[in-house]
Amino acid sequence: MSIGHGAGGSLTQELIDLIKGSFDGSPLADDEDCAILPGGFAVTIDGYTVSPLSFEGGDIGKLSICGSVNDLSVRGAKPLYLALGVIAEEGFPVRELLRYMESAASVCRSLGIELVTGDSKVVPGGQADGLFLSTCCLGRMERETPLGADNLRPGDAVIVTCPPGLHGATIAAHRYGLKVRGLSSDCAALWPMLKNILPVDGLRCMRDCTRGGLATVLCEWSEKARLGIEIDESLIPWDEAALSVCDILGFEPLHMAGEGCAAVAVEGEEAQRTLALLKEHDLGEKASIIGRVTREHPGLVGIRTYSGGTRLVDRPVGELLPRIC
Amino acid sequence: MQALRPGDSRERIELLSKALHKLADRPIKVMEVCGTHTVSIFRQGLRALLPENCSLVSGPGCPVCVTSQGEIDAALSLAERENTIIATYGDMLRVPGTGTTLAEERSRGADVRVVTSADQALSLALNDRTRSVVFLAVGFETTAPATASVVLDAWREGLHNFMVLGLHKSVPPALGTLASDTDMDLDAFLLPGHVSVITGLAAYRFLPERWEIACAVAGFEAEGIMTALVEVARQIRIKRPRVASLYSRAVRPEGNGAARDVMDRVFTLGDAPWRGLGVIPSSGYFLKKEFARFDAVERLGVTVKEVPPPAGCRCGDVLKGLIDPPSCDLFGRSCTPVHPVGPCMVSTEGSCAAYYRFQKRGCPAWKD
Repeated sequence: MSIGHGAGGSLTQELIDLIKGSFDGSPLADDEDCAILPGGFAVTIDGYTVSPLSFEGGDIGKLSICGSVNDLSVRGAKPLYLALGVIAEEGFPVRELLRYMESAASVCRSLGIELVTGDSKVVPGGQADGLFLSTCCLGRMERETPLGADNLRPGDAVIVTCPPGLHGATIAAHRYGLKVRGLSSDCAALWPMLKNILPVDGLRCMRDCTRGGLATVLCEWSEKARLGIEIDESLIPWDEAALSVCDILGFEPLHMAGEGCAAVAVEGEEAQRTLALLKEHDLGEKASIIGRVTREHPGLVGIRTYSGGTRLVDRPVGELLPRIC
Repeated sequence: MQALRPGDSRERIELLSKALHKLADRPIKVMEVCGTHTVSIFRQGLRALLPENCSLVSGPGCPVCVTSQGEIDAALSLAERENTIIATYGDMLRVPGTGTTLAEERSRGADVRVVTSADQALSLALNDRTRSVVFLAVGFETTAPATASVVLDAWREGLHNFMVLGLHKSVPPALGTLASDTDMDLDAFLLPGHVSVITGLAAYRFLPERWEIACAVAGFEAEGIMTALVEVARQIRIKRPRVASLYSRAVRPEGNGAARDVMDRVFTLGDAPWRGLGVIPSSGYFLKKEFARFDAVERLGVTVKEVPPPAGCRCGDVLKGLIDPPSCDLFGRSCTPVHPVGPCMVSTEGSCAAYYRFQKRGCPAWKD
């Protein structure tokens, strides 16, 4: 196993397929961010191993709630109940743990989520990088027609709700010792914003752009729907600070993770209304229509660049590694 | 720099593209030397804006790609050493040596750390004096001055646990080799921006003078690259090749003398192996004898052997611009970014990886 298997790109997909191969398979496992269960419930689980544990704009506690909440929110499920797993390393300061738990609790409080069960383990020093968390969140579907990439149709508009890659760039800057003024993770719970667009009839699908970034979400959509997607570089609400980190380290900004950034696909005619609803919320202030779904080049995502050229958008392969020069 | 900036207006690029269409009245072959240019050209979709007459070939300007198989194996041999930290630039992690990679060695327990500067490697040694740190010093004139500078720092500090595996290479001699290769038939070089910041322009003068090759130093924004292409097309058309700089905000004609002084203090030039190009005389920066105690080759007896590249891998031909990546039988089949065979598919700056990422199945045409 390599680090790249956990980076959200092609290698991660290989690993997931291997793991699924051991199980019998379920019609409910549809490769979306969460599973929709009989009875109108939705469930998701995620592990959090972020290093550093605390970063500009959030910490592992806040992240662990937002991540699972967002996985439910993008399928139109209101997050209700939470199970929390804590794996801490011997010697980890209890006071620090409590600080993270407080920030997790504060997100739960603001969304009315109840912590209903959990588990804690302490492992010998060196066996965990300080603290690992995992959260499983259960929610109730708030929309009758399920959202998913299968709903995509040519002519649909693609919206991104905030500048791409803020979380990834923040963590990368920290990891590689770059101090960037004004750079902060977008770590946030998307439910309060996304619930406002659930009544839009023409809403097709939504995804939070976590590992693998906006590029991975769009590639997965185009492959699953067997349609093309075309976006325009100049319509993406870029963040200058995040771009400069990518510039220096040689990362593709579209590959960088966000933790409070959603891609939304909606029928073309409802795009402006949806955009307006998103912009009503603080989290969606910079939301923008960045492209559309096409019948041409099925399975491929194209981007029109600032310079007027075109190229393909691909998903990242594995671990994002800074280049030499 | 990826130069993803709104400063480039589509109108100006369009004008440059039109000028290039006009000037290129016969087929011209331009080599973009630098890997960052290769990626920038692809990322910004500039290939879609070039006239058919203007073909771009990617050159040997990706430091990882030109590192020879023997050099990679030498770096990997360090992973077996007890109590040793290998400090490396990220691109090197996944390059396959004979049988393994640094990433694989790391998952087997070797202490491999990714650094973004020579300085960070030195800090590792300063912070833990009980362990040896070997810095894999890869790159051209862009990264060599920083390596020289930390070697001087280590020397002043009297540090005993810091070493470098010196694999730095010099760009101008490699361009000489390519220019003299009649198979290649190059008309122009798009010269590297960052390397030229250090070398200055004089280092390239022999290219137009001796080989009649048009040259332009380019920045990394779409406009800078397009302007440089227009400049070389113009030089070719009027048959007056020279070294033009279109990156004057960063490149001074005389280069960076202070950086070259530090390099002169620490390094001596020697023959070095390049993937695909063979051994090029006076193209490698090696530590001078007085700094031998910082030289992993001297201290640890690491040897760089002559090792053939992986079977079927044509990275060498790609680096010389003799074939485009899809012409390699392995491309997209047994060699992909997920399972790379050669270094040109591994490195983010490698031309095979760039082709695969941005053009593998043709570039979608944009309809307004």
